[in-house]
Amino acid sequence: MKLAPLSTLQNAHDDSVWTAAWVPPTEDTEALLLTGSLDETVRLWNPEGPEKLQTNTGHCLGVVSVAAHPSGRIAASASIDSFIRVFDVATNNTIATLESPPSEVWQLKFNPQGTTLAAAGGGSASVKLWDTAEWKLIATLEVPRPEGLKPAEKSGSKKFALSVTWSPDGKHIACGSMDGTISIFDVARAKFLHHLEGHCMPVRSLVFSSAPFDSRVLFSASDDGHVHVYDAVGKTLISSLSGHSSWVLSVDVSPDGAAIATSSSDKTVRLWDLKMRAATQILTSHTDQVWAVAFGPPLRTDVRSCLLASVSDDKSISFYKYS
Amino acid sequence: MAYVYIPVQNSEEEVRVALDQLPRDATDILDILKAEQAPLDLWLIIAREYFKQGKIEQFRQILEEGSSPEIDEYYADVRYERIAILNALGAYYSYLGKIETKQREKEDYFIQATKYYNKASRIDMHEPSTWIGKGQLLLAKGDVEQAFNAFKIVLDGDRDNVPALLGQACVHFNRGRYSESLELYKRALQVYPWAPGVRLGIALCNYKLGRFEKAKQAFRRVLQLDPDSVEALVALGVSDLQTNEAAGIRSGMEKMQQAFEIYPYCAMSLNYLANHFFFTGQHFLVEQLTETALAVTLHGPTKAHSYYNLARSYHSKGDYEKAGMYYMASVKECNNAHEFVLPYYGLGQVQVKLGDLRSALTNFEKVLEVQPENCETLKALGHIYVQLEQNDKAQELFRKATKIDPRDPQAFLDLGDLLITTDISAALDAFKTARNLLKKGNEEVPLELLNDIGILHFERGEFELAGETFKEALGEGIWRYFFDAEGDSPGHEEQLSPSRRVRANLINSAQYPVDASSSIRQYKDLQIFHRLEEQGLSVELPWYKVSTLFNLARVFEQMHDTESASVLYRLILFKYPDYTDAYLRLAAIAKSRYNVQISLELIGDALKVDEKCPDALLMLGDLELKNDDWVKAKETFRTAKDSTDAKDSYAAVCLGNWNYFAANRNEKRAPKLEATHYEKAKELYTKVLLEQSANLYAANGAGMVFAERGQFDIAKDLFTQVQEAASGSFNVQMPDVWINLAHVHFAQGNYALAVKMYQNCLRKFFYNTDSQVLLYLARTHYEAEQWQDCKKTLLRAIHLAPSNYTLRFDVGVALQKFSASTLQKTKRTVDEVRATVAELKNAVRLFSLLSTASNLHFHGFDEKKIETHVAYCKHLLEAANVHCELAEREEMQNIQRLEFMRQMELADESRRKAEEQRKVLMEKRKQEDELKQVMQQEKHLERIKEQWKSSSSASKRRDKPQTEDEEGGPGEKRKRRGGKRRKKDKKSRYESEEAEAEVEDQEEEMEYDDTNMSYRETNDIQDKEDIPQDLLAAAGLEDSDAEDNAAAPSNMNRRRRAWSESDEEDEEQLQLQRQPELDDMEVSDGEANGGGAAEDEQ
Repeated sequence: MKLAPLSTLQNAHDDSVWTAAWVPPTEDTEALLLTGSLDETVRLWNPEGPEKLQTNTGHCLGVVSVAAHPSGRIAASASIDSFIRVFDVATNNTIATLESPPSEVWQLKFNPQGTTLAAAGGGSASVKLWDTAEWKLIATLEVPRPEGLKPAEKSGSKKFALSVTWSPDGKHIACGSMDGTISIFDVARAKFLHHLEGHCMPVRSLVFSSAPFDSRVLFSASDDGHVHVYDAVGKTLISSLSGHSSWVLSVDVSPDGAAIATSSSDKTVRLWDLKMRAATQILTSHTDQVWAVAFGPPLRTDVRSCLLASVSDDKSISFYKYS
Repeated sequence: MAYVYIPVQNSEEEVRVALDQLPRDATDILDILKAEQAPLDLWLIIAREYFKQGKIEQFRQILEEGSSPEIDEYYADVRYERIAILNALGAYYSYLGKIETKQREKEDYFIQATKYYNKASRIDMHEPSTWIGKGQLLLAKGDVEQAFNAFKIVLDGDRDNVPALLGQACVHFNRGRYSESLELYKRALQVYPWAPGVRLGIALCNYKLGRFEKAKQAFRRVLQLDPDSVEALVALGVSDLQTNEAAGIRSGMEKMQQAFEIYPYCAMSLNYLANHFFFTGQHFLVEQLTETALAVTLHGPTKAHSYYNLARSYHSKGDYEKAGMYYMASVKECNNAHEFVLPYYGLGQVQVKLGDLRSALTNFEKVLEVQPENCETLKALGHIYVQLEQNDKAQELFRKATKIDPRDPQAFLDLGDLLITTDISAALDAFKTARNLLKKGNEEVPLELLNDIGILHFERGEFELAGETFKEALGEGIWRYFFDAEGDSPGHEEQLSPSRRVRANLINSAQYPVDASSSIRQYKDLQIFHRLEEQGLSVELPWYKVSTLFNLARVFEQMHDTESASVLYRLILFKYPDYTDAYLRLAAIAKSRYNVQISLELIGDALKVDEKCPDALLMLGDLELKNDDWVKAKETFRTAKDSTDAKDSYAAVCLGNWNYFAANRNEKRAPKLEATHYEKAKELYTKVLLEQSANLYAANGAGMVFAERGQFDIAKDLFTQVQEAASGSFNVQMPDVWINLAHVHFAQGNYALAVKMYQNCLRKFFYNTDSQVLLYLARTHYEAEQWQDCKKTLLRAIHLAPSNYTLRFDVGVALQKFSASTLQKTKRTVDEVRATVAELKNAVRLFSLLSTASNLHFHGFDEKKIETHVAYCKHLLEAANVHCELAEREEMQNIQRLEFMRQMELADESRRKAEEQRKVLMEKRKQEDELKQVMQQEKHLERIKEQWKSSSSASKRRDKPQTEDEEGGPGEKRKRRGGKRRKKDKKSRYESEEAEAEVEDQEEEMEYDDTNMSYRETNDIQDKEDIPQDLLAAAGLEDSDAEDNAAAPSNMNRRRRAWSESDEEDEEQLQLQRQPELDDMEVSDGEANGGGAAEDEQ
């Protein structure tokens, strides 16, 4: 397996790029990349070129998360001002504006079936689930707070929900917190199942394996510089990957499930071979923290390879080919 | 069978005496000789025969009898024989004197000999043999010049006198004129081919002349002629030994042995034999042989050699006292380092052992005088200089040694050892060379050397190389499988042999999976090794490899391969549970992953092993500080300090820091308490600095105290120096000093510099991930009124630390301040105002979000306060909206005005054009008129001509057009003036409107000012505060404007306050508590341990 750098787009945004997500291909379009930035815009890119297709404004105070609906037609973006804007990818028409104060919004993820949008609710220590048909709040999955704490105690913010992800079958949700714990929920019953411990620092990114027989396998990226591999159902730590010299900000799994890519404050992007449990490649195309990595869907021309995008505080976007 | 016949007196008979059957008692023979008055030559013959048979006593008896006065009388006319007898005696005593070792007896013998020779001379002073004898005697006495003269006399008489030739040759030999000596020997050989010792002489001369082959040939010839020639045997033996080949040495030793068997008192052969037995380790024999040698010789150099052998024997047995004594004796015997340098070296060595470095130094230097390129000596001297702490000299010597023999690993090792403290890269080079040399020589590279190389790479930050070196040092072992299991290098997997892969998998399966809930305890888990043992993998770790393994783990840590590092530390602890450093490193790893609980437990484990372990205590203190256990932390630091007898500067610095924090910490300010804490902190820092002037942390601390007291220039100097020192060193990471320096710049109002400093610090040390430093940066932007930068910086901080709600609050405040200040500006664009409105909306949203959140107790804000902010912002927003409308209206008006102007201009233009046209027309008309006039005049003239009678009506008509013209001008002007006036009117109308607007503005501004004023709680001007203002005042929303405007506190005070965390609202809002840098502990304890690790291995 290999990552071949394709191109780096300097000054893709006017300020730090904080988030990226691939919009799945539709009948009319190839897979596109959505990025969000401190410059309060969301931009849409065609990796061919690469070329800017659109600049969406309307957010205030920095875009922290973007997510695309599996259909590839709808996408959502969230910013520090706690609004979620749902919009039509092609036209940039606003479909809905979601908010549920006092819960702010961090990571957004659509479920694989496209029926629900999950949003990590920050200080509310919960995951909010929005119905994508009517854009109504349908459930709030609360992360249980440790008992016996005075409500005013500072540690109240420890369960701050930062990241969220869906299992491939859409039945489970994993939510990462500031204190490093990961909570697993049963979506259908809207019920908290258990914690996964191991990190003691913020978990900023989570992803379930895409390999067909590993759907219980969860990867977590944490500020402690490690990526943990859990069996989310069996409640076990399968492996711990260390190597980044600073916070691991983002993790994504390749479509074939054989590799993961991570990005870190140490300015690098790493490709990990899961069989070897070791970093096989270290890419240094960025000059500042790399906030997100995202694998695109398999290429139409070559299903065994796909694109990888990384975005950074240095305002740039990099594209790689994974094969 | 040889016989002598003693003629019987007065008869023809003779007594036949068989020479080999001489009676034991010489008296019998003497009686016969005397009785028969035998010729003196017979006496001589018989005496000589006794001598040959080794019956010295009889020999002497006969000769003494033969030289007695009666004989002299009786044989008075037999001169030659008498001389011969005397000479024989002289020669005999000379010989005795020569071989006698006791000085006194020696003298006596020589006196005797001289007596006999003199007697012989008295008989005939020209007898050559006497002269020869005398010459020999003089030679034996060492009186070479006299001997020369004696032989010369003989040779002048007979230039082929063989004994004289030999004697003279000997003289020359002793004078060191070997070629002349050789000539004489050769001549002697020509004259008398069987002369004894000639060939020996030739051989020796050749040897001395450096013609070793010829010398050897000569010796062999001697040996052929006389197989018992000890000298030849010894000489050949020596030359055989000098070949330095096994065969040569063996045959040499055989010859020596032969010589010894023939003549056991040859000092030379004894020495060589002793030398041999020294090397074979038979010290008893060495002593015996050398003692004999010493007993039989007087020859200085030979004795020196013997003493040396003896000394060496004792030296190797470790009896340095005796060895030293004998070396000394050896040195005394030869007294000339150029001839025999070895004992000086030995003496030097022994003196080093006995600690007499100075004497050793002189001895080694003597050796060096003789052999300036002797590496061993250079190294020995180097070591002495190291012990005398003259490192420069030592270095010079070692460098020389390595230059002279660039293939001596030991020299490079020594050089490296020496350089470690002063020049890491040079030391590394030296060690590497040593390693390469050892490898080339197929010698095993010692673990220590590899370990040292690894450490040096580590110190230079070359972790990959360090890791490789440590791995090489460790060789095979259980750790290998861990590396395989971790797959620590890309492409590693493919190279693994199946058996190794099986083991690697075994290890993996032993390690994982772990129950997630116990995974945080992983750093304490030693079960994995038990599991491995159960599965039949032997978990072995030899003690001497522990340090290297520890170092390797440190490398892994530095390379962020914490998993491997933790496994290795745990392996160490599994085998050696008392290895506290491993606990502490694990604790540090846990700490860096914020796993405080486990970190504490690990430190606890370390303290169980050694309850006074200062490193563990200090780490514990640090953690307690992090946990806000102030009192406990102080106690811990104290214990640490006590346990190191107050020698550990780190503990002192920690206590200093503690005091510093304590001074700042108190929310209710107690100036007295604060002052005492600062004083205490300063005292501690200063004390450390006195002991170690290069202690960066103490200097940094001292700078902090100075800064707290407002002595910014001193603080800045200190910080700058520390910063320079810290950036010069690779493994000192001191972000604190950058931050502190930036703080000072900030306090002094150098915002641009402060910003740069903070940014550099963030980039250099924190991978831009530290929200606290971002907050400092934001605050600087805030003070510098760079609102956008401030906002962006705060948003970044929020992105990094989303759960820090104070940051949100700060953004709100920054936005509010931005808006207020924009609205205060006299000139602003509509865009600015619009932005203001937008930002105000954001602020309102942020505050209201916080307000709702505060119900849920997310954060520690006062709900009321937030509401006040919300209210104020809303109020501001209303005002801003008004402004916005106003501004928009103004803009509209502006646009309209511009439009009007444009139209006016267009109108003007058209008017002007029209006029011009008119002018042209007028001109035309005029011309036409003139033409008409001319025509008229002509007509007129004609008419005059025709009608001279009446002309008055015509003249009237002529005037008319002129007045018309005149009237036209002013009319134009008036019109224009009118236009202007109108314009002016318009303008004034605008102006008045503007003025009104301004008045409104001012009113608004007044309001804002008022609000500001009221924030200041100096609401002495107006009392038309409305509710929000009131609320604000109630919430204590005074801000730094107070300081700007009120001008009450002196500048310095202001800065000071800005520095020292005043209670003023904005500072509180921005939460800019320059929390004294706890981080330095993290760094420094990492460092301390790192250093400890490296030191341990030395």
